[in-house]
Amino acid sequence: MLEEEGSREKGVLPEPPVEPERYEPGSEPDFERLYRNTYRRILGTLIALVRDVPTAEDCAQETFERAYRNWSTWRPDAPVEAWLHRIAINVAISDRRHQRIRQAGEVIRRLGRPAPGPDPSLVAERSDLFRAVSRLPTKQAAALVLRHYHGYTNREIAAALGVPEQTVASRLAAARKHLQVVLGR
Amino acid sequence: MSDIERELEQELHRVLDPMSARPIPPRRSIQAHRTLKTLLGGAGAALTIKVLTGVAVAAAAATVAGVATTGSLNPATWGQQVEQRVSDCKSQLAAGAHGIGDCVSTFANQHGAAVASAARHHGNGNGDGSTKGNGSSNGNGNSNGHSKDHLKGQATVPATLEPEASDPVAGHPPARITPGP
Repeated sequence: MLEEEGSREKGVLPEPPVEPERYEPGSEPDFERLYRNTYRRILGTLIALVRDVPTAEDCAQETFERAYRNWSTWRPDAPVEAWLHRIAINVAISDRRHQRIRQAGEVIRRLGRPAPGPDPSLVAERSDLFRAVSRLPTKQAAALVLRHYHGYTNREIAAALGVPEQTVASRLAAARKHLQVVLGR
Repeated sequence: MSDIERELEQELHRVLDPMSARPIPPRRSIQAHRTLKTLLGGAGAALTIKVLTGVAVAAAAATVAGVATTGSLNPATWGQQVEQRVSDCKSQLAAGAHGIGDCVSTFANQHGAAVASAARHHGNGNGDGSTKGNGSSNGNGNSNGHSKDHLKGQATVPATLEPEASDPVAGHPPARITPGP
């Protein structure tokens, strides 16, 4: 399904099988199998995009709900994981938008009170680099995660996101430039 | 691969791998979540509740008014009564004469007053000053437009500042205040 580029060698997550899994659109057992096979990789993408694990888990469930509703219309000629990633990124974009609205409401509600910090057990030790990635525009962050975490090629990312390959290249270049500026390199 | 790309890959795996390696939770039930989200979630919930409440109140008021007026749950009964009244009024007039509006509006006013009374009885009234107004408006709505003039000359309940007979205060003798020395 995906071209190997050597970037997966460092990954701890189980590698996707060499022979792609076959799924029957509309099949309930197949969707359950798809969920088991892809949940962790979708969750990994979402954690990088929405910044905390509970929100990412909620977005992952929302992703699979949306996928399930359209499961009967999915065409097997397209990579199923790319299709799921496309849904997940849309869910993350939507969630970020709602987060901004919620944060504005919280600021108003908590004026004068100290804001509680995030639960330390739910936030991994993060470097400046990871924080900078999670603050990128969602589409740029998604391109980075698909390229450098999942090891997709630009062509596969373009297919997953439904944009031209050149757009993916532009987003990746903009994201890298932004990171270099933020990190002072 | 540049340094920042290499560092990026290492960092993403260092942070994301342990987090996404957690046990896979059961897939969320689509039906229950979607229904709850639709009915209870977001800003639409308040609007939904308001609309449903409004519809329920309007339906209840219409039912109460209809039953009070016609004595029947069937709204067609009121229409039949009006039709009957119109044909009666026509037969009472001489051939070619006009003036059926007054005849019909008298009938409509009587039922309008009954509706207003029933609405007030169920908590929708605005006090005794509005009784005639509610009755008149219903009468106007069901008549041919002559009822306004008709009502101007018809003082069924003259406006007065006297307390109502049902006022418990009126049953007591007036208080007398004698000026002190």
